[in-house]
Amino acid sequence: MTNMDFLINYVNPEVKYETTPADYISVDLVHDYLIWTKGDAIVKDLMTHEPTSSELNAAATVIDESLAVIVALCLLMDYSHDIGGAYYTHKVLGMGENKQYVYCFSFDDDTATEPQLEAWDSALHTTILKNVLGLGTAIDSMVKAVCTTNTLPGSDWAGAPLAGASNVLLLNDGNGALVSAADLYSNLKIKIPAAYATPAVETFILTVRYTYA
Amino acid sequence: MDNLFVIVFKDDSIFEGGNYQQTKWKEIPDKQIRSIFYRIPNGDHLILSGYDKYYHMIEVCEDLNGERKGEVRLDFSYIMGKKDGYVRIYKINLQNNNIEIKELEENDDFIKKLNSKFWK
Repeated sequence: MTNMDFLINYVNPEVKYETTPADYISVDLVHDYLIWTKGDAIVKDLMTHEPTSSELNAAATVIDESLAVIVALCLLMDYSHDIGGAYYTHKVLGMGENKQYVYCFSFDDDTATEPQLEAWDSALHTTILKNVLGLGTAIDSMVKAVCTTNTLPGSDWAGAPLAGASNVLLLNDGNGALVSAADLYSNLKIKIPAAYATPAVETFILTVRYTYA
Repeated sequence: MDNLFVIVFKDDSIFEGGNYQQTKWKEIPDKQIRSIFYRIPNGDHLILSGYDKYYHMIEVCEDLNGERKGEVRLDFSYIMGKKDGYVRIYKINLQNNNIEIKELEENDDFIKKLNSKFWK
């Protein structure tokens, strides 16, 4: 069986996991989670406690009347808070920027098809009806993704809308199955359209789909 | 028979597969296959025979957040047979036990992008 490890870069998004593993945190998928936020004086990099719901609400991204807004900050909530000191949060460096090595998907063996990243309303993986995923229209998803396994995403990269089974991100740049163990990379951002009519606090599910022989 | 599959080779020897996590497909000896008995979730078996090449894979998903985060979920298993430029695919839904059967041309993009080293 092939296994996948999900990592985030919290030091320098210009170096690969393979060469500089110390720059990455392996996400404990059972306990850790990502926080997408505007951030403020409390909800920020290197928090010394787990943010509360009210703190997260106070730091929520505000919809702009005239400009699209890119959610400013992605934090890893590190339940074990055992990296670099007793810190519960670590900023995902390079998120939304022209950086290549931000989110890493490390596979320990070959795969039968190309691994892909998906976004869904819930763990059922059946619907994309939330505002953030385009209210059922995948191309309207606010979650933008770009594969950076082989190249930089480019300045002001637009990314592809991520939602459901039709709008997925191939993590090996469309080059097919992994022939051996490999680290794949993507960058992600959430872009809220200008004057979007429905303010909401929503969660969505990111999932990685892969195969083995 | 609890093995995920049992292979009978043309020399009458057999090979027993493992389970969904450790299928042993990659350990199959390089010999000509006569038939494959492939176990489906209800305990019955599909029997594939007469193909030139066979392919097998398990499709899983792993949520990065939410109530089932970190759980590697078995979604589908596939057993395929290739002959005369076509590939017959049995796609078994491991959540509801439905089986979808379809046939694709050998040069279909889905087939071409499979990891070629798993053809047996």
